[in-house]
Amino acid sequence: MKEYMYLFRGGDGRELDLSPEQMQEHMQAWGVWMQGLGKTGNFVTGLPLQSEGKVVENHGEVITDGPFAEGKEIVGGYLIVKAKNLDHAAELSKECPIFLRGGTVEVREIMPMDM
Amino acid sequence: MISPNRETNTVVDHFFRHQWGRVVSHLTAKFGVPHLTLVEDAVQEALAKAMQTWSFNGIPENAAGWITRVAHNQVIDALRRKQNFDKKSKELTTANGESSYTMDWDMEEEIKDDELKMMFACCHPALSAELQIILTLKILGGFSNAEVARQLLKKEDAIAKAYTRGKKKLVDEQIALEVPFGKHLTQRLSKVLRILYLLFNEGYSVTTGDMLIKASLCDEAIRLNKLILDCKRLVKPEAHALLALMYLQSSRFPARINADGQLVTLEHQNRSLWDQHLILLGKEHLELSAAFGHMSDYYIQASMARIHCEAERYQDTSWSQLLMLYDIQLHLNDSPVVFLNRVVAYGKVHGAEAAFKELTDYPKIKTLEKYPLRYAVEAELLSENGDYARAIEKLDQALALNSNAAEVAFMKEKRLRWEQRLRK
Repeated sequence: MKEYMYLFRGGDGRELDLSPEQMQEHMQAWGVWMQGLGKTGNFVTGLPLQSEGKVVENHGEVITDGPFAEGKEIVGGYLIVKAKNLDHAAELSKECPIFLRGGTVEVREIMPMDM
Repeated sequence: MISPNRETNTVVDHFFRHQWGRVVSHLTAKFGVPHLTLVEDAVQEALAKAMQTWSFNGIPENAAGWITRVAHNQVIDALRRKQNFDKKSKELTTANGESSYTMDWDMEEEIKDDELKMMFACCHPALSAELQIILTLKILGGFSNAEVARQLLKKEDAIAKAYTRGKKKLVDEQIALEVPFGKHLTQRLSKVLRILYLLFNEGYSVTTGDMLIKASLCDEAIRLNKLILDCKRLVKPEAHALLALMYLQSSRFPARINADGQLVTLEHQNRSLWDQHLILLGKEHLELSAAFGHMSDYYIQASMARIHCEAERYQDTSWSQLLMLYDIQLHLNDSPVVFLNRVVAYGKVHGAEAAFKELTDYPKIKTLEKYPLRYAVEAELLSENGDYARAIEKLDQALALNSNAAEVAFMKEKRLRWEQRLRK
């Protein structure tokens, strides 16, 4: 098993006029999905990210306040999963509720330390 | 290390929806009605943050406090950003700075109170009935424009516009966030109850709309009615009677639609599906209402619902008691609709023929010309007397006037049965 990172972009519903009820449903869908990954032993860790941030360039000569991308391009969180290979990792992401709200998942293999 | 939190999935039903009404009311009471829209944006953002973080981290212990605090800080931030343009908000933000703000369980009472005040503001007589419904659904129920539009059979942007107009009116008319005192209280309370009654009926009627939304309209009406009864000085017989009515009617929800999505009438419902707990709650509130010795329209309707709930089978229904209640109701409210329902009960007690005569002798029969229920009732009475030919004629008249798919399907099925009997 190797580790893979999911980068979540968009789909947090801020651009859509979601009612509180829909938000709660969406949150619960995420909970179910992540619990599923936990039960099958694929879940490693993950955290959400604030949408605001800073971009630092040239040793801090240039510091730009975020958001630095359009809503749908902002990384809203990440998750690390265990999977057999990249295809398997992509397969595991298919049920992610982010797709219900127009977001995307970027799947990347984490480079192992003992290469 | 983070692990997928099992509690994420166990947040109580409608938690976000209810938090919306609570927090919007609370922060609007705090920052003032002119900032209502800003408050709504802040609560929307707080819920979006909750949705984003809680799915990863699980639900914090004081989830309600979390949302209130995040929304509160969001309002302060927004007001600070506006400061350059608006001196007044500068005073506000210093007066309500983050540091002075703590959220704990002691605030429960204060928040409940704010929600009640908001309810009275939304149902203020200066607003039209439609605006009252829209404001109540949007502010207290957290419904989206799309959900309200689907329910009221309007276009989404029409609802958005009406809502903006309603909010402007709250500001322009300087409608205060308060629960009125003294002689105004009874009158204003009855307006609030009326809106809750309408909300419930919107949800309960099978005429239009999305079943899921409809059920939540009923839930909202019940929740807000309970909130009223939580406040000592609002405990009035009508409030108990209305809650009793809502509980008793809701108890039959699970039996009203069959597996094929078709309407099942009272007569054919599987009574074992009725929610006995809700029936019990309904009876309790009916008794509490009766203790005041005051008979409201809600009381009569709830008493009727109770009679149905108490009959083990349809044929056990105490029609004579029902007829008595209809007589009282007709006396209080001489409406053709009440009259039609009374005719049904009358037929059960005195026979179909007598009931048919009762209906044809009704002085206001003309007002029922466009009313499908009238023809449906006539058809039913004729069929009971075995006159299927005339019954079908009447049913066709009812069909021509009815647009509700569930009811039309139901009547067509009945028509088929009668046709078969006619051929025999």
